[in-house]
Amino acid sequence: MIVFKTFLKVLNKCKTPIIMYTVFLLFFSVFNMRTSGSSLSFVASKPDILIINEDEEAGITESLVKYLEKNSNIIEIDEDEDAIRDALFYRDVNCIIYIPENFRKDFLDKKNPEVRIKSTGDYQASLAELLLERYLKTANSYNETVGSEEELLKMLDATLSKQVDTELASKLDTGSLEKAGFYYNFTNYCILAGSIYVICLILSSFKNEGIRKRTMVSSMDYKAYNRKLLLSNSLFAAAMWLFYVILSFPLLGKIMFTRHGLVYIVNSFIFSFCALTIAFLIGNLVEEKNAINGIVNVIALGSSFLCGAFVPMEWLPAAVLKIAHILPSYWYIKTNEMMKGIETVNMETMKPVFINMAVILGFSLLFITAANVISAKKRRLG
Amino acid sequence: MKNVIEVKNLTKEYKQLRAVDDLSFEVHEGEILGLLGPNGSGKSTTINCILSLLDFSRGSIRILGSEMQPDAYGIKKEIGVVFQDVAVFEELNVYDNMDYFCGLYIKDKATRRKYIEEAIRLAGLEDFKRFFPKQLSGGLLRRLNIACGIAHKPKLIFLDEPTVAVDPQSRNNILDGIKALRDQGATIVYTTHYMEEVEILCDRVIILDKGRIIASGTNDELKQLARIEEKVSVETQRLSGKYIEEIKAFPNVESVDYSNGLLLIIYKKGKNNLTELMDYLKKEDIPYNRIYSERPTLNDVFLELTGKELRD
Repeated sequence: MIVFKTFLKVLNKCKTPIIMYTVFLLFFSVFNMRTSGSSLSFVASKPDILIINEDEEAGITESLVKYLEKNSNIIEIDEDEDAIRDALFYRDVNCIIYIPENFRKDFLDKKNPEVRIKSTGDYQASLAELLLERYLKTANSYNETVGSEEELLKMLDATLSKQVDTELASKLDTGSLEKAGFYYNFTNYCILAGSIYVICLILSSFKNEGIRKRTMVSSMDYKAYNRKLLLSNSLFAAAMWLFYVILSFPLLGKIMFTRHGLVYIVNSFIFSFCALTIAFLIGNLVEEKNAINGIVNVIALGSSFLCGAFVPMEWLPAAVLKIAHILPSYWYIKTNEMMKGIETVNMETMKPVFINMAVILGFSLLFITAANVISAKKRRLG
Repeated sequence: MKNVIEVKNLTKEYKQLRAVDDLSFEVHEGEILGLLGPNGSGKSTTINCILSLLDFSRGSIRILGSEMQPDAYGIKKEIGVVFQDVAVFEELNVYDNMDYFCGLYIKDKATRRKYIEEAIRLAGLEDFKRFFPKQLSGGLLRRLNIACGIAHKPKLIFLDEPTVAVDPQSRNNILDGIKALRDQGATIVYTTHYMEEVEILCDRVIILDKGRIIASGTNDELKQLARIEEKVSVETQRLSGKYIEEIKAFPNVESVDYSNGLLLIIYKKGKNNLTELMDYLKKEDIPYNRIYSERPTLNDVFLELTGKELRD
């Protein structure tokens, strides 16, 4: 108990960096959430348009304007040519629709009046053109058959007001998965930096030459003492992992209650175990407390950058990703990224995820073996 | 007299070097044994072997009647060790440091609290319980180092140069504490570079060199080993070579040295030397400020036996 009690007292002195890493995680996660939304529902996109109507607002002309107003965002701009050009250039509007003088009369007289368009040529502008084309084609068809404008407008209204139910083929909530991926990718840094910093600092205190000798000459079984120290460090790593997992529930919401969420949790647990073994290895190698900060920066920050914890993996050069294969962080982040594209979580789709997890466990085994070899060599003085 | 430590034919070899060479000695219950020797003489290696921190090549070590082993936790419970380098947690205050080290031996909280309070009083750290090591002076830090090693009330205590780089006030406090521990019944093995500490504290002394015991005994027994019996110092100016030669011819004179106005005469035997010298100085009308006679110190014995300064 005295070892665990002292462990907690020394840990208390290391709380500042853990708080700092958590604040980073919270800040960037909240920032990320504000910039991306959920993608489970379908909402029709509306282009920004400006209507310059030189005709009287009645009959078919009024109907056209109302149809455009309903299906797009109408932007109010001064109708001088300079202001219109600026609006197009700065993408304040996607499209300008010019309804010519006598449009109503010419249309009913079947003169096929031209409605001019100026557009930015982008996707939204095409959408506006489609809206206009749809209206005019439908109106022209009915104009051929019906006798009065009133009847024409009735039929147009009935046809154009029909809504099509859109059902998304994929049930994948890519927005929430994107957020979860970002959060858990960022925890790569927090878990790695937190584990290495705290465990190395604690080990450097407990394994200080004088304190180690004092413990070895004491009546406490040195193997039991080492086991207690190992257990204390493992408990700390587990508590840190649990804290970040609990934090992810209010931040990420429903996705954490799905199978996808469970995979993120299991993946982060395996990575936390690996981070613990890395910390043990470094803790056994490094005796100088002042060197720990530098090591945390090199390992945690370095591998987080190289493996895509801060920037998406697809943005990283292929050469960097090749090098990253030798780091456990790469396999952890790879799983998080894969989860964004896996629609159904089952044994078949999880196969590559299990391989990634096995690789991380392999790394852990390697690190813990190396740490044990070094520790055994240091145990005896000569 | 009961032996607390029995070392027989202890030998420790490092590839080409024999650090401890067939060492045999005992430490008696309730005594303070001084372990002296120049650097590299094998003191630390001997202590590390006794404490099972080091494997040894040959020999046997028995403590409190049982063979000492790395897992002899029953024996280890009765041992307290104060290493030369201060070994405490920087992150813990004085009380918590002592609680940890005492806790390695004693599980019961109430007993531990009582023992810690006693050790704090013994080390004179009552006003510094909540201080962190960085806030303590060098002397107080040494006292904490000692308190951490003895708080669990061991029967056998190893003190490895506990007063290095300590101010005189703290040193006196530490020495008083060590005497108090002995008075409470503890057996102490004490290594130091300070001869005056050995003369004040130790009941017996063992002098080591090149891994072997070159002398052992009480202070007086060791001093008898010296070939000299008296040292006379005279503070006098302008002493010509003629006088120095005449003094060298006095009976029992071993050597004469004159430098910086101080005449040092070493006598092989110590009777009537001072009277004879004063008569000569008066007869030759040689003025002097001070004249004093000393018996050889332990340092002289050490120098004579090892041919080395203790700090070389």
